[in-house]
Parts: sequence; structure tokens; C-alpha cells
Amino acid sequence: MGKNDHAAIRAILCGDKEAYGELVMRHSRSLFRAAFRITGNEADAEDVVQEAFLRGYRRLESFESRSEFGTWIYRIAVRCALDRINGRKTGESSRVAEEADPERDEVQVADRTAGPDRILLSGEIAAMREAAMQSLTPTERAAFVLRHMEGHSSEEIAAALGIAPNAAKQAVFRAVQKLRLRLAPLKVRT
Amino acid sequence: MKHLNEEELIERYYGKGDGPASRHLEGCAACAEAYDALQRDLAGVECTEPPARDDSYGERVWQSLAPLLLVYEAPMRGRRRAGLWKGLSYAAACALLIAGAFIAGRQWEHGRQRGMAENNPAPTRQRVVLVVLSDHLDRTERLLVELKHADAGSAEMVSPLRDEARSLLAANDVCRQDAARNGDPELTAALDRLNPLLVELAGQTDGMNSATLARLQDQMNADGLLFEVRVLRSRIPDRQAAMATRPNGGTI
Repeated sequence: MGKNDHAAIRAILCGDKEAYGELVMRHSRSLFRAAFRITGNEADAEDVVQEAFLRGYRRLESFESRSEFGTWIYRIAVRCALDRINGRKTGESSRVAEEADPERDEVQVADRTAGPDRILLSGEIAAMREAAMQSLTPTERAAFVLRHMEGHSSEEIAAALGIAPNAAKQAVFRAVQKLRLRLAPLKVRT
Repeated sequence: MKHLNEEELIERYYGKGDGPASRHLEGCAACAEAYDALQRDLAGVECTEPPARDDSYGERVWQSLAPLLLVYEAPMRGRRRAGLWKGLSYAAACALLIAGAFIAGRQWEHGRQRGMAENNPAPTRQRVVLVVLSDHLDRTERLLVELKHADAGSAEMVSPLRDEARSLLAANDVCRQDAARNGDPELTAALDRLNPLLVELAGQTDGMNSATLARLQDQMNADGLLFEVRVLRSRIPDRQAAMATRPNGGTI
């Protein structure tokens, strides 16, 4: 796979633009998965995938042949996703919370699948999980997703996020602490 | 016993199964309970599974991306670079060729000059002869002018003429021989005609009578010696110019 990637990159740099199509088709699904987990949004994840491949193409000359293209483009996608949620955070005026708290500018997420008289438990749990994830900073969220869901090491997370390994580890710790705190009520209900 | 803190438990959860934390968990019920709670909490934190993307997803991404991408022009740049190097190499080769030709020309010229100087010292010698000839003709002209205006009664005037004629006689002989050797018949003939007058004048005693003076003046006038000497003098610059333009290995 890596060998094919390198051959495709050489072809691209020699003027064969179509060869990039092979790389896009080969890696777009893994990028989408990571992007979706970090952004939590399908449309954002698709945008992130596009942007990552676009950035990757433009920086292809700086790609070092000893690296794996998959890892390289994955890191670019993580950065793009991080940029996306960073931008979204600054643009948002409200955060999702379990309980509405006007002083903290928090809102409740309405579960549209439930009827007005009966809230389905699964829907509530999903909403709370999402609210808990939303409470994390972009770096904490990305670090947690990469650690907990994508199974990357602290060093890999650090490389993907452009931070020190210890900072990556601390970001994961803080994310876990916040999530446990946020999801504590769930344990009581279940 | 020091219990594991939350960070250590989290590290244990994401880390490897062995190590001091694992050994501690085996022997510490409190930490094991805390670790179990952490495991339950984190097991519950599962994000929504990403929406499935079929095999055509990559194709769709590529189709939307392709129009935004510019073709890399690395080969073109490579050709341009190669062309640049080719041009520079050509220019360098030309410069080397010109420099080589210049140096070779100088070497050849200097060698030729040296050879000419060694094998044919004539130009330098001829320049010296011209200077001597010019001086000789100049003195001769003055002598002839004085002879033309000389007064036979004045003994003090005859003596310098005689001394000058004696001095000029030797120089005239040298110049005449040189002119004959260089194949200059006009100069040779003129100096030949001058010679008897100089001989006669040089042989005079202190008391030159008027008849002798008149005869010498007549001889001078008859041969047109003064005029001829003046003509020869006037041609000295031409001779010098001819010497300068002669191809004798000038340098660049």
C-alpha cells in the first residue's frame, strides 16, 4: 500500500494529477471516520476530508518519502478537523448542557426522536454523551478521540495535533475527567 | 500503601497491561474498584458510529476535488532547469574558449616578439641609426649654412667649420655604409655627394683663401647639397613613421 502511495506521489509530482485520485480513493474513508469523530458532524467531516486532501496535494512536494502517506494525510485531516471545531467554538454563543443555564450560556439539546410525553432513554443518553463531548476543548476532544476511539499513542496524537507528547497525554487526562464528571448522572439513571 | 491516582488509572487504561500500576491493581482492592469504575465510564463513552461511506465515497471526493488541483509542473521545471544549466554551460564554455584564445594569443604574440627580438634586432638598431642620421643631417645642414655665409677673411670662422667637417666626416661614412646596407640608394647617393665636400673642408688649414672658399661654396651650390640635406632631413619623420607601422609584433 505504502509502496503504491509513493509511486502515485512520484507520478503526481511528475505532472500526473490523476494519480492523486488513487490516494484520495484509498484514504478518504479513514479520514472521514476520524474527521467525523472529532467534529461530530457529517457535513463538517466531509468538508474536513476535502480540505485535508487539498492541503495535502498542495504540500505534496514537502512530503518525505520515508513517511507513510496515510499517516501524513491523516495528521493533516486531524489538524483540519481541529481548525474546524476551533472555528466553530469561537463562532458559537451557546454550549450544549444537561440543564439549561443562562448564566453559563448553556442550552439543552432536544431529542427530536422522542415524543413530548416520553423521552427515550437511549436518545437521552446519546444527547448527554454528545453534550459531554461538546464540553471538551477542541484539543481535548481531538486528543480523546484519537486515543479512545482511534487507538493512537500519545506520541502519535502529539504529532497529529502539533503539540508535545506530554501535552497530548494531559489533554487526554483532562478529557476523561470532564467526560466522567459530565456523564456521572447517567450512571445513576442506568 | 500509596494508591493510584486518576491519571495513573487512565494511563493504565490506555497503556500496556503490565508494569507497576498493574501489579498494584492486583493487590489493592480500592484501586481495582476505582479502575473498574473508570473502565465502565469509558466503555460508555462511545461516540456515535460514523455514518457509513461506501466504496464510491472516495470517487465522489476525488470528483469534487480534481477541478481544484493544479497539475504539478515538476518536469517542466526540470526541463527549464536543465535548459538553464545547458545555457549556463554553453556560456561558460564560450567564456573559457574566449579566455583560452586570449591567453594563447598573448603567449603566441609574446613568443613571436621574443623570437623577433632575438633573431632580428634590426628595428631597434634602425631606430638608433635614424636618430644618428637625423643628428648627422642636422649638423650637416648647419655646417653647409655656415659655409654658405662664410667669409674667407675671417680665420676664426674657418677653424670651427673645419673641425665640424672632420667630425661629420666619420659620421657621414657610417651613415652612408648603413644606407647602402639597407638598400637606400637615394640616401647613399646624397651622402656620397656630401663626402668630398666634407673631406675637402676637413683638410683645410687655418688660412683658407677666398678662392678655396668660393670653390667650396660653388661645389656645394652646384651639387645642391644644402637643398638635398634639407630634403633628407624633412623625410626623417616619414622614415620614423614607416618604422612604427612596420609589423614588428605589437602587443594587444
